Amino acid sequence: MTAYPSSRWAIAAWLAAVLVCVAVIARTQFSTDLSAFLPRSPTPVQQVLVEQLRDGVVSRLILIGIEGGAPAALAQTSTRLAAELRQQQENFAAINNGEETGLAKDREFFWNNRYLLSPAVSAGHFSSAALRVALEENLQLLGSPAGVMVRRILSNDPSGELLRLVDQFEGLARPGVQNGVWFSQDGKRALLVAQTRAAGYDIDAQERALALIRSAHSNAADASVRAGQNLLLSGPGVFAVSTRARIKADALRFSVIAITLVAALLLALYRSPRALLLGLLPVASGALAGIAAVSLGFGAVHGITLGFGVTLIGEAVDYAIYLFTQITPGATPDDTLARMWPTLRLGLLTSICGFGAMLLSGFPGLAQLGLFSIAGLVMAVAVTRYVLPVLLPPGFSVHTATGLAPQVASIVRRAPVLRYPLLLVTLLAVFFLAAQRGPIWSGELASLSPIAASDRLLDEQLRRDIGAPDVRHLVVINAPDQETALAASEKISVILQRSVQQRQMEGFESPAFYLPSLASQRTRQAALPEPAVLRENLHEAQHGLPFRPGLFEPFLRDAAAARAQSLLESASLQGTGLALKLDSLLVKRDSEGQAGWTAMLPLRGVTGSAAIGRDIARLANQQAELVDLKRESDALYQTYRREVITYSLLGAGAIVLLLLLSLRSPRRVLAVLAPLAAAVVITFSLLVLSGNPLSIFHLVGLLLVVAVGSNYALFFERQAESAGERERTLVSLLFANVTTMLGFGLLAFSKVPVLHAIGSTVGIGAILSLAFSAILITRAAGSTVSLP
Amino acid sequence: MHHLLVALLLAATGICPAAAAETAAAWGIEQLMQNLGQVKSARGKFVERKYLAILNAPLDSSGTLIYTAPGRLEKYTRLPKPETLVLDQDKLSIEYQDRNQRRTLALQDYPVIWAFVESIRSTLAGDLQTLHRFYRTSLEGSEEKWRLSLKPAEPKLQTVVKEIHLSGRGTRVRTIEIIEAEGDRSVMTITEDAP
Repeated sequence: MTAYPSSRWAIAAWLAAVLVCVAVIARTQFSTDLSAFLPRSPTPVQQVLVEQLRDGVVSRLILIGIEGGAPAALAQTSTRLAAELRQQQENFAAINNGEETGLAKDREFFWNNRYLLSPAVSAGHFSSAALRVALEENLQLLGSPAGVMVRRILSNDPSGELLRLVDQFEGLARPGVQNGVWFSQDGKRALLVAQTRAAGYDIDAQERALALIRSAHSNAADASVRAGQNLLLSGPGVFAVSTRARIKADALRFSVIAITLVAALLLALYRSPRALLLGLLPVASGALAGIAAVSLGFGAVHGITLGFGVTLIGEAVDYAIYLFTQITPGATPDDTLARMWPTLRLGLLTSICGFGAMLLSGFPGLAQLGLFSIAGLVMAVAVTRYVLPVLLPPGFSVHTATGLAPQVASIVRRAPVLRYPLLLVTLLAVFFLAAQRGPIWSGELASLSPIAASDRLLDEQLRRDIGAPDVRHLVVINAPDQETALAASEKISVILQRSVQQRQMEGFESPAFYLPSLASQRTRQAALPEPAVLRENLHEAQHGLPFRPGLFEPFLRDAAAARAQSLLESASLQGTGLALKLDSLLVKRDSEGQAGWTAMLPLRGVTGSAAIGRDIARLANQQAELVDLKRESDALYQTYRREVITYSLLGAGAIVLLLLLSLRSPRRVLAVLAPLAAAVVITFSLLVLSGNPLSIFHLVGLLLVVAVGSNYALFFERQAESAGERERTLVSLLFANVTTMLGFGLLAFSKVPVLHAIGSTVGIGAILSLAFSAILITRAAGSTVSLP
Repeated sequence: MHHLLVALLLAATGICPAAAAETAAAWGIEQLMQNLGQVKSARGKFVERKYLAILNAPLDSSGTLIYTAPGRLEKYTRLPKPETLVLDQDKLSIEYQDRNQRRTLALQDYPVIWAFVESIRSTLAGDLQTLHRFYRTSLEGSEEKWRLSLKPAEPKLQTVVKEIHLSGRGTRVRTIEIIEAEGDRSVMTITEDAP
């Protein structure tokens, strides 16, 4: 070999590259964080939503149901399970099962701080006239069954602040209590809510938490009590864990199956184990390069990206097939490569154009797929071009190719007969697509959700039982600091209170219910009169009422203490269940230079969202906004679908430009593009016919069809020097196509939506591209073929 | 032999004096509840007097009481101030007309109030099962003039309620007396409305 020294350099460079890749991969973090497939959010409000999905309090909730058995037994299990989990303070921030123990501290907090918390406390609230009204109301209340409630607290709280605080939470859905713990309405299921310390996206920690819950459940009750009891778990963490398990299993299973099948096929083709191993070199090197590139570019590699590695096997293995199969007996690999290199290079560049569009996507997950493919394909082609020729045994040639060639060639020669039928079918497909009245694309973000339908059903059921339905409307307030956020919440609360009175909604929650702004707390403290004045006011107010003398001494004591009490801060809520509540409603943000605080006020039973939105918008200078989560997330999804379509069109445009520049003939470009266009249109129609709403992932699949199919079309279009060479080319295309089909077709069996969508799209599209190339291009290149 | 046959016949037709006596003896809580359960609706005027330790004079009120099977109880207080109280299923709503104020309580959040209202509602509805969820019952007297005593079953409720006595005639409840653990007491007397 004349190029021996440079070959040695090629091998050395390749080995070095592989070593670097392995070193990078060894330090790589692999994530299965599902939000990678949620769009990067453009607006601060949407940013908050995505962050909440990732690590907000909501993402840390695990809903637990225990069913099967008598209520008493279920209640016993619930109590013991809760007690056991409450011991694990390093893993669980809170366990709630409706037992009094969990609520006592909350009540204590409200009781001890009622004068700082009650929005009614303002100047004049403790005047003799106001107290008189309050006492008369109390007298009336004492006559009713609700009197039991006030009788014990009356002497401490004659102005009724605790009742007012309780009123704020009126209407908050809560699960029913039976045998002292939470139960579903039908009494068949005991309910618990666990909050993990770890964020929802920390899947390892979530998995540990789930294991702890399961083992606590099996320790929680005697076998006799537990017999027949079933533990149900749901929530974001549960979904994350089960999805990761599924992705892992799918990625592993499909990779193993695909490699086995492809290897068997290649062995049958090459009849040389050495060639087989060499043929897998570009794939393996490409996969390493892909993972390393994503790791360097994104800091972590997503599980789905790895699963996508399977598809790379399908594509990258093609390069070795092209090379090996097209080596003419007696020729050296270098000669063959020199001949096919321009086509191979153009095919690679076309693929890069296609995948480049994904690189620009707003979905980090898709961008990862794009980078993975580009890096992987470049590496695979480079290995094929510079490393394989050196390692191939001298005189290597694929005999099967020679044997099969005449049959393949004769089929291909007759293929153009189908030209007009294909044209007709394509036209029909175009009309079919144009005539689609219903939505072709799924308009919901949920279409990207990797959660199985049965899991989602269980989640809905448990949520309904527990009275924690998904919040749909919420007011989001952004502020530079906590105090401003709380003050704004209080201002908004006034408006929302009015909306509740006007029956535009049932109720709402505010972080300021639990932690009022310091300014409000000071105002309330200042509204408490001096002890002597208060005593005088009370004395006057009591005139003629039948309250026992001295009854309200405790109130005078409490009021005096409240005047001097230190103001509440977030830390004051520690140890109560309210701390969690506050954490979920008031969030500190420090992402991307947008440091600040966000307050969220979830609304319940909204009927007049337009009117509420207007009222909130009217408050000038407030960074407050009414958000309809469902509409917002669907809009977000639609924005990104438009974005992906735009980038896809850009990618297609880039491919056309690239072909024009390289082929330098509009007629040849048309010849290459026609089969691709027909394949895309018909694949698309078949997917629509299958009845499933199409998601962004199908669109990405179509992009891949163009990337893979362009290789076929280019090889078909290439002017062959001899009939033998052309026949070998055809055989190599056939085998390349079969391996691609194996790689992608297998993915169609995955239950992970992204893998399934891409797999089925590319599986269909690849075979159509090859068939259509045979039908449409042969004639264009026919004159060359017939030459000796 | 002949004598026995006559006795059997008489027993079967239900006119045997001994059998009749047995039926009277079988009148008890189950029978009372069954009878009460057949009442579809009832209406009466009430006068209530409460003796509370925190007040130095008793608290009087009066108005109308309406019961509709199976579980709706409305109490319209006219004096001293208008107030409407509606107990329906698991919700208790109280409305103060003069203040235009309304409060709805989910009973399960207020076990003590729930126990109080259920002593009356379950009795009116003849719902022994619910009554037993909160109370141990004992019955004295006859179908014509009975007195039902309720003692709370749960220790937690015992710290609030000592006993509740309901007395009545036939399917009419006449008085309800609630004696609380700390000595507070209330007596409600119900008189039938003129039809």
